[in-house]
Amino acid sequence: MADTKRIKQSIYFWIFRAMSMMVVFILVAILYFIVSRGIGVINWDFLTKSPEEGMVKGGIFPAIVGTLVLIAGSLIFAFPVGVFSAIYLNEYMKKGKVKSFLQLMTNNLAGVPSVVFGLFGMALFVNKLKFGDSIIAGSLTLGLLVLPVIIRTTEEALKAVDDNYRLASYAMGASKLYTIKKVILPIALPDIITGLILSIGRVSGETAPILFTVAAYFLPKLPHSIFDQVMALPYHLYVLATSGTNIEKARPVAFGTALVLVMIVLFTNIIANVVRAYYNKKYKK
Amino acid sequence: MIKKILNNFQVGVLAVSSFITSIVVLLIIIFLFKEGSGVFSKSLLEDGYVLVVNSRNTVNSIAPKDIKNIFDQKIISWKELGGADSAIQLFSIDDISEYYSEEQIGSDLEYMDTCINNYIVNHPSVLAYFPKKNIAKKFNGKEIKVGTMGLYEFVKGREWLPTARPVVQMGILPLILGTLMVSLGAILLALPFGLVTAIYMAEIAHPVWRRIMKPVIELLAGIPSVVFGFFGLIVIVPMVQKVCHIDVGETALAGSIVLGIMALPTIISIAEDAIRNVPNNMREASLALGATQWQTIRSVVIPYAKSGIWAGIILGVGRAVGETMAVLMVTGNASNMPTTFLQPVRTIPATIAAELGETSAGGLHYSALFALGCVLFLMTMVLNVYVQVALKKKSK
Amino acid sequence: MKKVALGFALLLSVAANAQNIKVKGSDTILPIAQEEASVFNKSGKGTVSVTGGGSGVGLASLVDNTTDIAASSRKIKMEEKIKLTNAGKKVKEVVIGNDALSVIVNPSNKVTKLTREQLEGIFTGKIKNWKEVGGADMNIVAYSRESSSGTFEFFKDHVMNKKNFGSSVLSMPATGAIVQSVAQTAGAIGYIGMAYDNPKVRQLAVSYDGKNYVEPTRENARSGKYPVVRPLYLYYSTTNEGKVKPFIDFILSKEGQKIVDKVGFIAI
Repeated sequence: MADTKRIKQSIYFWIFRAMSMMVVFILVAILYFIVSRGIGVINWDFLTKSPEEGMVKGGIFPAIVGTLVLIAGSLIFAFPVGVFSAIYLNEYMKKGKVKSFLQLMTNNLAGVPSVVFGLFGMALFVNKLKFGDSIIAGSLTLGLLVLPVIIRTTEEALKAVDDNYRLASYAMGASKLYTIKKVILPIALPDIITGLILSIGRVSGETAPILFTVAAYFLPKLPHSIFDQVMALPYHLYVLATSGTNIEKARPVAFGTALVLVMIVLFTNIIANVVRAYYNKKYKK
Repeated sequence: MIKKILNNFQVGVLAVSSFITSIVVLLIIIFLFKEGSGVFSKSLLEDGYVLVVNSRNTVNSIAPKDIKNIFDQKIISWKELGGADSAIQLFSIDDISEYYSEEQIGSDLEYMDTCINNYIVNHPSVLAYFPKKNIAKKFNGKEIKVGTMGLYEFVKGREWLPTARPVVQMGILPLILGTLMVSLGAILLALPFGLVTAIYMAEIAHPVWRRIMKPVIELLAGIPSVVFGFFGLIVIVPMVQKVCHIDVGETALAGSIVLGIMALPTIISIAEDAIRNVPNNMREASLALGATQWQTIRSVVIPYAKSGIWAGIILGVGRAVGETMAVLMVTGNASNMPTTFLQPVRTIPATIAAELGETSAGGLHYSALFALGCVLFLMTMVLNVYVQVALKKKSK
Repeated sequence: MKKVALGFALLLSVAANAQNIKVKGSDTILPIAQEEASVFNKSGKGTVSVTGGGSGVGLASLVDNTTDIAASSRKIKMEEKIKLTNAGKKVKEVVIGNDALSVIVNPSNKVTKLTREQLEGIFTGKIKNWKEVGGADMNIVAYSRESSSGTFEFFKDHVMNKKNFGSSVLSMPATGAIVQSVAQTAGAIGYIGMAYDNPKVRQLAVSYDGKNYVEPTRENARSGKYPVVRPLYLYYSTTNEGKVKPFIDFILSKEGQKIVDKVGFIAI
């Protein structure tokens, strides 16, 4: 009896192991596919030159710059607003209907499909506010998209701060705002920064929101003002994969672009993990 | 004093910030629905044009669907529309030079209006389609009114021809079904693997393995959808075509596979969290009663974590429903009514992304795409609210 | 605060000062515009920047002044004209070249020619198997462009006699994707601009009268023998004429037209 139970268990466990390994295998295979085909394309010229000859030659420099500009633009807006919002929600608001409504809305915003952000950005920033297709319209749209991510990670970070710190600070006569600024934020900072880094990955890869708000098909010049359009890596990959007069010839460039995108995500993930691990060791033990 | 004002000001900034997400959600709703509602108030007839028949024709109105069939030459006689038994003669402004000489029309097209009017008067079974500004001052034709579309026709219509002329067809049923089908397929594929992996990571795997798997899966969650689409286009589409022996690889199945892979990280990480949140004393009690680890997982851990696992599944569906770029690249985007997984389908997000760029802002097509955005928004909103209510109940 | 305002003003003034001709619109015309722009920019007569997005996007941008020239692969629509008139703008139209649309199939397909009626039947979904048009017993997989593209509209008006496409026709977001899919799929048929021709697909001869089949070559397109040829347009506001004229003149010049030919289109 006990034996059949054991056998049954080990059969199930082997099935579980096999399926999990398959999942990991699929994921690793996708990464390998992109990396192995893209790595040969990437060199200094690829990263620093403009596309040439119908985008099958040259590099992707304008798209890289465009994506960096959009990352900066969206986070300049979303980071402070997100952190402020999380501080207010976590430190000032009492439990109740208003608070749970605000949290519900934040979660809803997180669930809005990216193409709907694109529609909204086009209706509000491009058409209503007359920004046109521009860096500012695209950045604001992307900023709204990552806002819930930043709020959530910041909230988690603030919650993780031990209440004793707050009590100790109040006991010494510090005001609430002072306590937040000088005591709580410094402790929560590593986790907040981790959230910020992860949202860089998110912003860099989104295509649908920038399609109608900022992305340019071909724009070899770098932007001069926030009212210019820019090229961006994800849209550039989409263009390389589906249009252009010679898709076959554009394939290597497409793989290279895909790899650069994956690298951005990979690096931001690694950096985020390192930051987290480093500070966890330093403070929390 | 100043310090206090400053203090209040800073707290005020924080408070305002905390309302921004709510304001944005409301703004999204307002903008989507404001622009989208235009689809029900604008005429289905191409802007600036009129449809005209001879004044003696007994037909007064034609349903939009019939107008399309007339111009597709599937309806050829007025009899089919309740009129006289005569063949419908189509006339559009480009044809004018076949009937009238350049002199008759005038070098500056100054007699164009009269020519059109004459043609209509002389042809009792004509159905003419020309710009409104070319209606002559003494006009003898009868204008056919083309109405607007109702919500029912919009949702139940089976044809999506948003640029058909002279009258567009905007039925979104195939798009809704296409979206649901691709997402459903994705979840059916991702669910077993996602749950098994989550259980394995949380309960069975050696901690070292878990520490390796977790970042790999997190990394996968961060890979942009356009990269998945690119991968799907080059690898999955030809594979589906070969393995299933079908004419074309760009199918709902290809979309489901790509979306399934993309939904995996969401399902795994949420389900794993839910399983790890099961209190340890539950497990210990079960093991102490002589149950094996497997029995404990099956009859204690999973039932306890059920609502959290559900949340993971629903959020996975939500991600699949709204996914745009990857689907656009692999499903073939044919707007027919989907019947099998081995057939091209068109989803709502792909339709918006592919068509919005070419529409003219404020037109009927533009409104229709915003209306599609509303439908998509409502679909994901329902899923989201459901998850949050379910999780809340659980935490109480 | 002052600094921010100053920075903002600076950015705005930069935007206003850049005497830069913006071209926006049709993805079909992009290869031409891109190449013309890069040669024109080198000549030192001015700078031109090119963005795509589609014919509709270009013409809409003309209304709200976000572009100087709209590139369009179709004639301006009545509703767009009305909008421009309402905005107090008069537009001028220039044809800068022609594009021949060719019908392509997979190289393994034995069919080499089709009549216009047969094409109409295939793309409306009436003809479903290659054996109906003299080929092997194989299902037809028809690929089209997105319904909002200028290429789609031209094909519909001139090849399909304005009939609507069948709902089982696959629609691709860009012409390159059609070439790609037709190359991969044995039973596929699609239509592309001639500049996109590729050895991995085969072009068909087309007949409008049912007797004389014409190969889609550049010579036949130029001489007018090949029937499916469409003009490519640039539109600009008359108030802007002084600014955009040098670039338009350059495209219409001998040198400019050579570029049109080089990129794969047909000079006028």
